[in-house]
Amino acid sequence: MLQATPTIAGMKMENPECKITVLVEKQFEAICHTIPNVDEVLSIDLGMTVRSLAREKEGLLDAYEYLSEVVEDLRERNFDYTLNMSSSAYTALLLSLLGIERRGGWAADPEGYRVIESEWAQLFATSVFHQNRQYNSLNLVDVFRCSADVEKHPNSLLINIGEEPKARAHALLKEMNFPDDGPLVMVQAGASQAKRQWAPEKFIQCIEKLTREQNCRVILSGTKKEQPIVDSIVQRSDRSRVFSVVGKTGIPELGALLEMSDLLITGDTGPMHMSVAAGTPVISLFLASAFGFETGPYAEGSIVLQPVIGCGPCNPNKACSRPECHDQISPELIAELAALRLRSDFTELPPALAATTGVVIYRTYFDENGFYDLKALNAEQNADMERYRDAYRRMWLDDLGGFELSSPAEKKHGLTVLTGEVDGLREVEKAAQEGQRLIQQLQRLIQDRTASPQLLGETGDDLTELDRNIEQLGFHHPHLGPLTRMFIFGKENISGTDATGLASQMLGIYQALERRSGKLGQQLL
Amino acid sequence: MDEREISDRMKADWDRRIAHDYRFWMSDGYQSDEIMWETGERDFAIVTRGIEDEHNKSIVEIGCGVGRLLRAALRRYGRVIGVDVSEEAINRVRELVGERENLELVLGDGLSLSQIAPKSVDVVFSYASLTSTPLDIFSRYLLEANRVLCDGGTLRLQIYLGTEQQVTGDDTLHLRCFAEENFRKAIAAAGFSIEWIEELELPFQVSFEEAGIIAKVGSFRKSGDSQLSYEAISQLLMPDGEPEEADAITGLEVECWMSLNYARELAESGDLERAQQTLDFAVAHAKSINLDVQDLLDQIVSLLEEKAEEQGASAEAPRSEAPTATLISGDSPYSANLEILRQRFPDVYRALLEPHGANSGEGVESRDTAEGPILLAHGQALDHPTAPVRGAENWVKAQLQQSDLSSLQQVVVYGFASGYHLESLLNLSPQSEVIVVEPSLGVLRQALHLRDLRHVLQKIAQLSLGALSSFEQKGEDGVSEFQQELFIRPQTATAFPEELKEVKSAYYGERGLKLLNPSMTVLGPIQGGTLPILQYTVHGLAQMHQRVRSLDMSCFAQGFSGIDQLVQDDNRQALARGKFSETLSDIVLEAANEKPMDILICMAQAPITGKALQELRDRGVITVLWFVEDYLRFPVWKYMAQYYDFVFTIQKGECLDAIKAAGAGEVHYLPTAADPLVHAPMELTAEERKRWGSPISFVGAGYHNRQQMFASLSGMPFKIWGTEWPHCKPFDRMVQENGRRLRPDEYVKIFNATDININLHSSTERDGVDPAGDFINPRTFELAAAGAFQLVDTRSLLGELFVPGEEIETFSDRKELVEKIKFYQEHPEARIPFIEKSRARVLKEHTYQHRLKEMLNTIYRSRYEQLKRKQKASPWTKIIERAEPFPELQKRCEVAFKRGEEANLDGLVADIVTGEGALSETEQKLLFLFHIRKQIIRMKSEEQVKS
Repeated sequence: MLQATPTIAGMKMENPECKITVLVEKQFEAICHTIPNVDEVLSIDLGMTVRSLAREKEGLLDAYEYLSEVVEDLRERNFDYTLNMSSSAYTALLLSLLGIERRGGWAADPEGYRVIESEWAQLFATSVFHQNRQYNSLNLVDVFRCSADVEKHPNSLLINIGEEPKARAHALLKEMNFPDDGPLVMVQAGASQAKRQWAPEKFIQCIEKLTREQNCRVILSGTKKEQPIVDSIVQRSDRSRVFSVVGKTGIPELGALLEMSDLLITGDTGPMHMSVAAGTPVISLFLASAFGFETGPYAEGSIVLQPVIGCGPCNPNKACSRPECHDQISPELIAELAALRLRSDFTELPPALAATTGVVIYRTYFDENGFYDLKALNAEQNADMERYRDAYRRMWLDDLGGFELSSPAEKKHGLTVLTGEVDGLREVEKAAQEGQRLIQQLQRLIQDRTASPQLLGETGDDLTELDRNIEQLGFHHPHLGPLTRMFIFGKENISGTDATGLASQMLGIYQALERRSGKLGQQLL
Repeated sequence: MDEREISDRMKADWDRRIAHDYRFWMSDGYQSDEIMWETGERDFAIVTRGIEDEHNKSIVEIGCGVGRLLRAALRRYGRVIGVDVSEEAINRVRELVGERENLELVLGDGLSLSQIAPKSVDVVFSYASLTSTPLDIFSRYLLEANRVLCDGGTLRLQIYLGTEQQVTGDDTLHLRCFAEENFRKAIAAAGFSIEWIEELELPFQVSFEEAGIIAKVGSFRKSGDSQLSYEAISQLLMPDGEPEEADAITGLEVECWMSLNYARELAESGDLERAQQTLDFAVAHAKSINLDVQDLLDQIVSLLEEKAEEQGASAEAPRSEAPTATLISGDSPYSANLEILRQRFPDVYRALLEPHGANSGEGVESRDTAEGPILLAHGQALDHPTAPVRGAENWVKAQLQQSDLSSLQQVVVYGFASGYHLESLLNLSPQSEVIVVEPSLGVLRQALHLRDLRHVLQKIAQLSLGALSSFEQKGEDGVSEFQQELFIRPQTATAFPEELKEVKSAYYGERGLKLLNPSMTVLGPIQGGTLPILQYTVHGLAQMHQRVRSLDMSCFAQGFSGIDQLVQDDNRQALARGKFSETLSDIVLEAANEKPMDILICMAQAPITGKALQELRDRGVITVLWFVEDYLRFPVWKYMAQYYDFVFTIQKGECLDAIKAAGAGEVHYLPTAADPLVHAPMELTAEERKRWGSPISFVGAGYHNRQQMFASLSGMPFKIWGTEWPHCKPFDRMVQENGRRLRPDEYVKIFNATDININLHSSTERDGVDPAGDFINPRTFELAAAGAFQLVDTRSLLGELFVPGEEIETFSDRKELVEKIKFYQEHPEARIPFIEKSRARVLKEHTYQHRLKEMLNTIYRSRYEQLKRKQKASPWTKIIERAEPFPELQKRCEVAFKRGEEANLDGLVADIVTGEGALSETEQKLLFLFHIRKQIIRMKSEEQVKS
């Protein structure tokens, strides 16, 4: 929800008169009350619904009755526009049940299939497709914002922290006899997945360095589940300057503590987003499946550490028994970066740190078009990947956003110009051209009433085969994956029943593939 | 209270009650001894239904009372033993029944049948007696019945099943009702297998559905000695035991209450002397109970005074004569009734005018009562014996009450009798269309003589004689099957039980097919020629829109044959096969656990053990065997029949008797058939004709008689297809494609490509045609359905299925076969009428759908109520009820239920997920729920991965 705040704020900026209602699953209701620009929060109790369904038999009726009540209630509100920020099939169906004509984000067609009408939303789906993730440098906050047609937006996530939570946070620190000297650093040590959990030992070393050398005061936050990790850190740290607030805060109090802090050290977590929303910079470790470009702290001046390792960022749904990426970030490096950031925001690293290898140290910033980006501060590593990422970024911003781009020579990376062609790109272009030829043939056959149905069928078969080849090219040449996946989403989301209209949409999709291939080639060469 | 005290209590209580009024306390028939004996006959017929060869059997009644049923038993059984704890009762039997050669009376100890030797009797029964005994006594008698019964002996019990009743252990009057599941466990533990348990239906209310108490009659076969104690049996019957304190009224209070009501009834009827006696009897109780009966007492006392005054005033008035039996006189409303019949039911009218046949009315009498004349058939009253009007009204009210239908559009009534109940029904449920089936022409004729029934004949919608001939028309004209009921007059049912079977078959069969929709599983064999019949059966049921699932065990064939490769010794092979079958049985049980079934149809040689079948039966599954093998060649039924509720065979006569004697519930003849979608005429290419065709062909295994006969046909253009043929001359040139097993689609090609198909039924013993051959093989139907010409050997059962010489051409020996082959080779045009007629006959009468319809009719006839109860207990029923505010959802639920889906979300969305077209709102909502659940399940599995 916090990641949606720039979009919500943008909607309000562009339509000051509008009333915004947020519909969330019940467990996220509390956080929504801290989000600015939201006029009303509604919740749906999916947990209860699923529990009813699990009872089977009559539980089915309970769930159905509950859903009918929810739908009825929502319909009575006569919304003018819906924006579906969830990619799940059920939210699309729910919104489709409301029958609101103007809609953004994920939707469902009359047959119940999910459709992604906006090309930006298709890019969202393309970018989170695991094989394509590392070729993406657009933060999902921006991609989603664009899919909702929101241009104006704040360059930060937003949160409202009331005076009462602040007072409670102060009282909490006082109650713990917290010293009032030295920088205040929060540490979110726990992670949602075991493979993203940096070892407590490493946190201990880092905290020890910060308390000893920087006279920092450290607060450890976490959920009840994370208590054992936090306790193991606190117990082996300087107890006079290191405190745990696990189980002592609600979301508003956590927000207040983050706002009071000077810095947060964390993984890719919820508190990371809260921290930047509260205006506090973060040093964030993007371990295992976490990917800084995708979900990094959406504010300028924070630090993102991304290990350089062949297997990362890994698949979020796969376990890892040897998370070697964890060892590529040392506690000392974090402590040193923290010390630097506590002093001030920086755009360059001291030479010793600039020479760090095995991990890319990024600083977060916004480009000239207001899109979030990361700038590497240490020695260039994995230049090929950075080049593709950059080329794709520019290509999408140009093709989907119409943003004017600086020439390749002015790119932020010192590019090595490729010699020869990009592997597979020519084949994709050719396939796109062949697709256009076939579609035009199809259009002729549709118009020609004397055309043999067999020929129509054969052309259809040829197109199916061609599409298969295009998808295949994306698998053969992983760097072309985003291009071909975007094509597939385009094909999947063609709508309507009229043959001419369908053919015309299909033609547009092949044309887009050829156009984008050309643009990508230009960016790369 | 220990058991001795309880048995003393039983003794004292029953002595007291019988001394007071033996008829009143003997359940039914308190009006007169005559009526008591009549009801005894009726109830004895119910409780011993289907037991054959009674004259050579011995029977024991536990709790015989004053001999109400015992008298009926004496006329039928060779040796009758009546046991009762009450001395008063035993003395009364002596007085009322007298000394009989075949009667032994035993004054019991209330705990055992100790005076009866072990394994010395054939049948033990108890009716309206053990139902009132305390739990431990009941359990003791179950074990005692097992002890005294000979092996395989029959126990018949009238019991109450349903909601367990909280009755204290010292109560000798309240009804005991057990949970059916517990009762089934207990009876099995007491050494009995359950043959059937059916609802008891009597002219008055015996079940109390609102309290969950359903009166039943059950038949149990002694399957072995029980090793358990009576305490263990009691534990199974009521795991929590009987309560120590009654939470409702006690037995004494019930006794008092019943007596008071009886006293009032007697007072109302003017029998003041007995009313006073009964009142005194009740008052003796009233002092020791907590029930406030003062109001009732006062009412009776004032009623007595009032009646005494009335009687004093009319002391001189002559008392009405006792009813006497009179024959119908010629002066009657017959002509007027007949005229209505002529106008409205001409078929029935014509039948009445025909010369009197066997069913002319012999044995039908009438008798006068205060409320009008009644009819009796062979001594059995067809109306209420003393109050036909009130009796009929009460019966109709009870029927309408029991019917849970809010609007009864159509009622089928079995039994016209004297028409009192029809008058009541037409009055009480005027919106119902009434269809009447009277099994006896004689009864109808006498009824028309007896009473002016024109108003009834004008109002009823249909009147059928004997069978429910036109019943299949129901459901049309907007009458929903859901709003029909069959009301069976118990008196007519008792008098004409066989006819009732047919009516039930017609009514429940059709209705069952449309409404019951039980979940059926068809279990096939591992291998062999029966395997295709599994597919045809499943296919046939599916075409009839039944919920059917196939358990095709042929996937285990390789493993099964692997045993022979690994183990050489015959005994060891048999042992290993047994173990293998046990494992397969376990797999079947697991499959049943996963997808519960209502009916299991096993094909012959299906790999399932008796234990597994019993377990399924204990869960309420109806077990069916379609034994499509020669019962003499495959005697497996000898030890398996007892585990089946229904066995269908392809043979008649001794086969049916033998399988029945082996313990099968019901045994019926059901020949095999053809599947017209598989066995059909087909166009063949020249290449196919060349490969599969021949002037003469035979498809089948190389049995002894076939080898012997076909060797002599080797000079003819004769192709043999099939397995188990010898690899020697002359067969080496006749047997095709190395004698491999053919698929059905392949042999249909052979049928079609052959001029003359020989069909010789197999025999392992005889040469050539088996002169004693009876059953018809599937090939006969398949060839006919495929539009092929066949020469089939004569079989005793063939004539019932085809007309030999007209629809099908036969041969009875080699000589005739050769002659006919030559003739039909020379006269191909002569084959055509046979081809056309035999195919037409198969399509009309001999497809698997016909057979399965008959099979289900038979099952539904006797198990309709059981399946209906199961259906009512189905979660779908409740869901459908609750979905009423959402008509589309409700419709979807009904369709999903009929389609056989499980009662869950998956079942409901199955066709949405796979369907096409725009979604309705209901479909969107269901899909929403479906996706949420899927998402949560996915998230949970991801969480597991992550942790």
